[in-house]
Amino acid sequence: MKEKSTLKIIAIIAFIIAAIFFVYMAYIAKAWSYLSKDPQACINCHVMNTQYAAWQHSAHAVADVTCVECHLPTDGFFNKYKAKAIDGWNHTLAFTFDTYDHAMKISEDGARRVQENCISCHSSVTSTLVSNADKYHNFRQPYVENGRKCWDCHKETPHGKVRGLTTTPHNLGVKEMN
Amino acid sequence: MKMNYKLLLVGSVVAIGTMVLLAQNINEREAERVALTTSPSIAHVDRAENEKWARYYPRQYSSWKKTKENGKIIDMLEEKSQLAVLWAGYGFAKDYNAPRGHFYAVQSNTNTLRTGAPVDGKTGPMPTACWTCKSPDVPRMMEDDGELEYFTGKWAKYGSEIKNSIGCYNCHSEKTAELAVHVPYMNRALVAAGLPTFEDSTHQVKRSLVCAQCHSEYYFKKEKWTDDKGVEKTAKVVTFPWKYGLTAEGAEKYYDEVGHTDFKNKISKVPVLKTQHPGYELFTTGIHGQKGVSCADCHMPYTQEGSVKYSDHQLQNPLNTMDRSCMPCHRQDEKTLEEIVHRKYERKEQLHELTMDNLAKAHLEIAKAMEVGATDEELKEARDLVRKGQWRWDYAVASHPSFFHAPEETLRLLSVGNDYAMQARVMMIGILAGKGVMNYSAPDFGTKENAQALAGVPFQKLVAAKQEFKRTLEKEWNKEAVKKGVWSEKTKNEQEAADIKAGASYPL
Repeated sequence: MKEKSTLKIIAIIAFIIAAIFFVYMAYIAKAWSYLSKDPQACINCHVMNTQYAAWQHSAHAVADVTCVECHLPTDGFFNKYKAKAIDGWNHTLAFTFDTYDHAMKISEDGARRVQENCISCHSSVTSTLVSNADKYHNFRQPYVENGRKCWDCHKETPHGKVRGLTTTPHNLGVKEMN
Repeated sequence: MKMNYKLLLVGSVVAIGTMVLLAQNINEREAERVALTTSPSIAHVDRAENEKWARYYPRQYSSWKKTKENGKIIDMLEEKSQLAVLWAGYGFAKDYNAPRGHFYAVQSNTNTLRTGAPVDGKTGPMPTACWTCKSPDVPRMMEDDGELEYFTGKWAKYGSEIKNSIGCYNCHSEKTAELAVHVPYMNRALVAAGLPTFEDSTHQVKRSLVCAQCHSEYYFKKEKWTDDKGVEKTAKVVTFPWKYGLTAEGAEKYYDEVGHTDFKNKISKVPVLKTQHPGYELFTTGIHGQKGVSCADCHMPYTQEGSVKYSDHQLQNPLNTMDRSCMPCHRQDEKTLEEIVHRKYERKEQLHELTMDNLAKAHLEIAKAMEVGATDEELKEARDLVRKGQWRWDYAVASHPSFFHAPEETLRLLSVGNDYAMQARVMMIGILAGKGVMNYSAPDFGTKENAQALAGVPFQKLVAAKQEFKRTLEKEWNKEAVKKGVWSEKTKNEQEAADIKAGASYPL
């Protein structure tokens, strides 16, 4: 009987420690920030410094268009948080285990989302494009207008033409960093 | 419901364990994030010894040391046997290997048959100037002995002084580690070309100029001078022919003006201009150069290791580091880019071979005409054409992959060079016919042996002399250098071991 109550006490203490540790983890990982739409959440890890700095000096930043407004689905709460969860998981793995490239490229799914968001905001421009694109129909990839993304031409929008982990031309650093 | 405390305990302990690891990782990364924005420390080091810098710049040093990986010896005279004919009577017909990494610079220079087999400090075929691009000991000697004294005498004079291979002090200030060039001829060349001096150039330009101090076309300009004791001496000073611009035609105009010829071809008596390696000049004509990309942008890409950002000092082919060198600017996939580069190489190769073949045949046809009694006067025009053609061909291919740095200029020079060679050959058909020689066909130069025989190179004899030099004088130099504190015992042993390893695949 005595043994059992000792186990009970130890188990409860361990659980409390784990719970406190969990809160601490959430704190050092700035976990709550990921629920916001603040672009600074995206530079909790330094790997996004270049993208952040480039965006900060772009027209999109002036117009207050933040990271999530281009990179996450905008068609509802469920899709948005599903994408956030999947990306978050992948980013955590890549960053923890150091598996990312120097010149990071957007995933296919990420590119699809961004393209949809380009079109949804710039619809008046893109509708003309779509009607023109019909004249130059791409038979190999008929489902995408000529198989190209907006940024294939608008290369500098909004992250600049030159970018890599350590490459941010004309930038003195991310001022939000301490 | 009965609580399962055992399960709770195990679960909690596992969770704590995992979270400890994760927390550690997160805190490390947070430290990286802060450290990434702080500046590196400043070095105060003994300038010429590379390993002395390692304490302050461990990553730069260890990546520099990786230039050792590029140690394969490729015999260019085997690959392109025409070369021995084109350079008959000149050092390069004896021995010419593809360049190895910076780690090997002094070794390669010591081993090549071109620097001969001196028996003391006053013998051997080459002047001190041959060391100039090989070592941080060179600016050290220029500063200690004076520039003109450095450029006076035989190559063997500095055998025990110039030991450390191309390294830190060649491109950096020993006080601040900022980019710096310590050889005065660089600024003389820039001024002659009407360009800003090194110190007046922007940082981005400096990131190329430190390379240009060696990867450029040069010749040894003779300068008479008198030392403190009143002794008259002649220095052979490294000089860039940049007065009329950084082009093949500009350099040719300069050389013609000062009456410079590198050697007379032994087969044809053509007064040849030998191009060294106008890598920087050609690069400035290409699209990367035009767009303001620097050498270091691709060849020394920025690298991040944990919390440190640094330039990769393993100078090498950027196709080995495409993710860091190419992909920050180019949006295609790596394979597509590589194919584009390879196609550029194939285009160059085709014209390269064609032009060399025609130049080599022109030399041999002139030799035939000499044999059947043609006079120097009759042959003057053809020889001038071959000189012009060979200069353009050599200028196009003598530097590191010009087909990539400057594809248009390279192909232009090769085709203009080939045209001069063909003009000479057409002329030779007429001259030979006038002497009654019809349908002459030049002897085969398709192997290194045949070509060197035509060029009169006693290869085996040269190798034997070199081996004797390596057994004796070089060993003495190495020991003496340790005694004088030029390099450490450790560096000496490392270099000697690397040399033995390389020697296993090559007779030297």
